[in-house]
Amino acid sequence: MIEIRDLAKRFGAVEAVRSVSFSAGDGRVTGLLGPNGAGKTTTLRMISTLLAPTAGTVRVDGIDAAADPLAVRSRIGALSDARGLYARLTARENIAYYGELRGLPRARIARAIGDLAAMLELEPLLDRRTDGFSQGERMKVAIARALVHDPPNVILDEPTNGLDVMTTRSLREAVRRLREAGKCVLFSSHVMQEVAALCDEIVIVSHGVVAATGTPEAIRAAAGSADLEEAFVRLTGAGGEAP
Amino acid sequence: MGRILTVFLKEARDALRDRRTALMVLVASVVTGPLTLVLIAQFVSGLEERATTLKVRLAGAENAPALVNFLARADVEVEKAPPDYAARVKAGRLDAVIVVPPDFHERWMAHEAARVELVFDDSRTEASPAIRQSERLLEAFNRETATLRLMARGVSPSVNETVKVERVNAATPRQRGAVLLFLIPMFAILAPLLGGMTLAIDATAGERERGSLEPLLANPVPPAAFALGKWLAAWASASLVAVVTLGGFVLAAAFYAESRLPALLQFGLPEYARFVAVVVPLAALTSAAQMLISTYGRSYREAQTYVSYLATAVSFIPLVVMFSGAREAAWQAAVPVLGSLMALTRVLRGDGLTAFDALVPAGVCLALAALAVAAVARLLADERIVFGRS
Repeated sequence: MIEIRDLAKRFGAVEAVRSVSFSAGDGRVTGLLGPNGAGKTTTLRMISTLLAPTAGTVRVDGIDAAADPLAVRSRIGALSDARGLYARLTARENIAYYGELRGLPRARIARAIGDLAAMLELEPLLDRRTDGFSQGERMKVAIARALVHDPPNVILDEPTNGLDVMTTRSLREAVRRLREAGKCVLFSSHVMQEVAALCDEIVIVSHGVVAATGTPEAIRAAAGSADLEEAFVRLTGAGGEAP
Repeated sequence: MGRILTVFLKEARDALRDRRTALMVLVASVVTGPLTLVLIAQFVSGLEERATTLKVRLAGAENAPALVNFLARADVEVEKAPPDYAARVKAGRLDAVIVVPPDFHERWMAHEAARVELVFDDSRTEASPAIRQSERLLEAFNRETATLRLMARGVSPSVNETVKVERVNAATPRQRGAVLLFLIPMFAILAPLLGGMTLAIDATAGERERGSLEPLLANPVPPAAFALGKWLAAWASASLVAVVTLGGFVLAAAFYAESRLPALLQFGLPEYARFVAVVVPLAALTSAAQMLISTYGRSYREAQTYVSYLATAVSFIPLVVMFSGAREAAWQAAVPVLGSLMALTRVLRGDGLTAFDALVPAGVCLALAALAVAAVARLLADERIVFGRS
């Protein structure tokens, strides 16, 4: 469960996030949708406590991120914008390192790697060094690394960026499974179809503020358009003036 | 504590997987010692050979029978200089030549100032023993002639010698060796810089460049644990390279035990242990400083540039000490790197290493290293550093 209220972030003169409020519930997939530069990544970084908000609050499972960032981090698994791996370590070692940093016992790490590899179709790659991996393979390892501690809250920042169709499909499947497991999944994207295909709830962000919140149907209704893409364009004002 | 160990082990494993770099650094450190000592041994034995055989090259010996007679009495071998002696001196094939002009004997007999020339090239260090030897022999001849002449006139020879200089060389052979072997402390100081560099850069600027810093810091681990674990790995690598480099010197010195070199250089296990005791705390400081500098680097390359400036600055310190002729003073023990260098020089000179000499530099190094690591931890918590500066 992730709840954010009136979140704002300023970098010098730039207001990256002006006022964002929403809540993402457990067992649901919440999509943070918006054009590039809308403040999605900055918002997600504030949730994973890597950035300190200029104003507003982040609560994860009821814990205030400003008061106890380490507790919040341990309840989150985040695939961040930067997703570099250690090229000289194998996929297994990359994932296990994060498990060890989270203080998990060895046996649990081994089990988690087995489960995640099955879910993400990583098994043949596990004991290879990651330096020759394709972008999709890297992405899978990065996701497995973020989920090694079986976190109740999963944050994915543009997870399908640069992936081919097959990898995107298997990723969507993985997201559905996380929802079935009762996780709170929050993911960002600028791709309409993806959000429409996966999300129970959509939060449209534009210029650092929330333009609309609701189920895909509610958003279509609010925008007075049957087409979600059309609704997105109207709500974010990306298409210029509204008809 | 567990997290620090986790970070340490990961960095160490990561560094060892980079086989080519690890091997190159290790091989370079293993061969440094033997290679240096071979060169020094050549140089030293060359010097001794030149100086021990008393030999003087004379041009125009027939003009100075008295001088030749004196040299013969002094048990000095006189060799006729070849006609092209000037060119040979210039080319470095002759060290010094005494040239006697044709009017020498007449003037000498007439008690006039009789001129001789000493031809040498003092830009070549290895010629200096031979030059000094020729000078001394000429002075001795001068003194003998003057003394005899004064005595013939009934004057005490001491009239001519108001100040009698007696040369007492205070340097023990071992201390003379230390002068030559300022090279070993120099390598002892450079080795940890070389050994810690790759890891310090890779664990900071490299981590950011490959985009693994942000996810790493999203783990519920305090930044200080990352800073400490990474630093300990860099320190271990720096110390390992230093220990191997110095070990090479011990092996090489043992190999030369039969030759003249041991008289000049004592570098056995006791000296090795003291060197390690001085260099390991120094490595703590150099690797922490390299990490701090690299954390500011936006890319691996940029960090590498900064770190090489550090190496240049540090390697200047032994040179500054050597050329400035700075005298040893107690406060120098507290100057980072300089204090360690002084302690190392003392070990080589056989002066004995007091607790003060060893502990003050070690304390200074460790305290500064702690400050640098604390600064790295702060930077890792700074969003401008993690996400780039604008």
